Amino acid sequence: MSAETTESTEETQPENIGSYVYGILRSGQRIPEGLEPVPPGSEDAEHGLGLVSAGPIAAVVSDISTDRPLGKREDLLAHERVLNAIAAETPILPMRFGAVVSDDDAVREELLDPHQDYFARALDEIADYVEFSLRGDYEQDVVLGRIVEENPAIQDLRERIRGVDEDASYYDRIKLGEAISQAVDTLRENDANAVLDALERYARATVVKEVGGENGAVHVAFLVRRDHRTDFERAVDDLGDAWSGRVDLRLLGPTACFDFLPEYEAPDEEGG
Amino acid sequence: MTVSQRQGGGVQKDPQGGLAEVLDLILDKGLVIDAFVKVSLVGIEILTIDARIVVASVDTYLRFAEATNRLDLHAKGGKDLGQVVGGMTEGATQGGAKGKTKGVLDAGKEKWDEVRGERQSAKRER
Repeated sequence: MSAETTESTEETQPENIGSYVYGILRSGQRIPEGLEPVPPGSEDAEHGLGLVSAGPIAAVVSDISTDRPLGKREDLLAHERVLNAIAAETPILPMRFGAVVSDDDAVREELLDPHQDYFARALDEIADYVEFSLRGDYEQDVVLGRIVEENPAIQDLRERIRGVDEDASYYDRIKLGEAISQAVDTLRENDANAVLDALERYARATVVKEVGGENGAVHVAFLVRRDHRTDFERAVDDLGDAWSGRVDLRLLGPTACFDFLPEYEAPDEEGG
Repeated sequence: MTVSQRQGGGVQKDPQGGLAEVLDLILDKGLVIDAFVKVSLVGIEILTIDARIVVASVDTYLRFAEATNRLDLHAKGGKDLGQVVGGMTEGATQGGAKGKTKGVLDAGKEKWDEVRGERQSAKRER
């Protein structure tokens, strides 16, 4: 509560204020207007996003109280929004959520300066690309209906369970559920392949990810050239048309290239 | 940031995404600060609820089974659960026999109705 006023007008950060790092971009870039930082959680903290530059690269940072835990909904969303808004306009290497360094000097001296080569090279590599994530959920009734229709063993199990008391049919119900679960897994595999067949040609790289939830159908990340975006999105729409009523597709992006960051190998010795 | 949007594709376009979508990217992906910074690293506690665990468990199986049964009820014209449970013993024979053997049973039932009908009419005549 008792806010100690710092005597200096220089930008030295108070003791309990660290620098939250969002990501790394080429220097000389502007941060889009109106972006909210991860809530600093302290009155001593300066509110707003800033850049710490070191030669050809810079880090996007904001003040944050080092006393508070991170991970609230608004923290997570702020991290993502800042990165994606910047990524839509200029290449940025995203940090994983929760990267906090003691102050801006440390960002420059420990993060940027010693790893300049890697960051500059990684930025070159992703310069022309953005990431998209395509997710789909099954329309459960439609998909289950088809599975039952096509699968005599499942039909038999259903007959056996029908009308039988819950306890008595317990194991049969598990068997039925397992059989359906397996059928859904096969379907997922086929659908993931269909997604790749339809969209891979518009992407430089893809990652098929594990889907979440019982109704999860597909989850694929795409590294798409900025100038191929329109073609890619059109192809996504076509797929959405073809799958309409069976799979509900959502396209997330453009985002920073979270899934396609060039590998970092720690050098034995600092390179000069 | 113009996003080419076309109606009819039925694909929801979202430059941001909800929390579930976000978690997957920003908690698991991205450059890890520890790989670069050692001395000045500030270890802030990260609270994350792992809502991403998907276990192919018995629970999942049972929910699938339930969903399939619901499917059946919808298809059969919305017979509600009360009826099914209420006529449990009856349902077991009746329900279990539905499907492949339906034809045979129906024939049998007709026969039975015939017989019963005869009796009934016989009764009435008395």
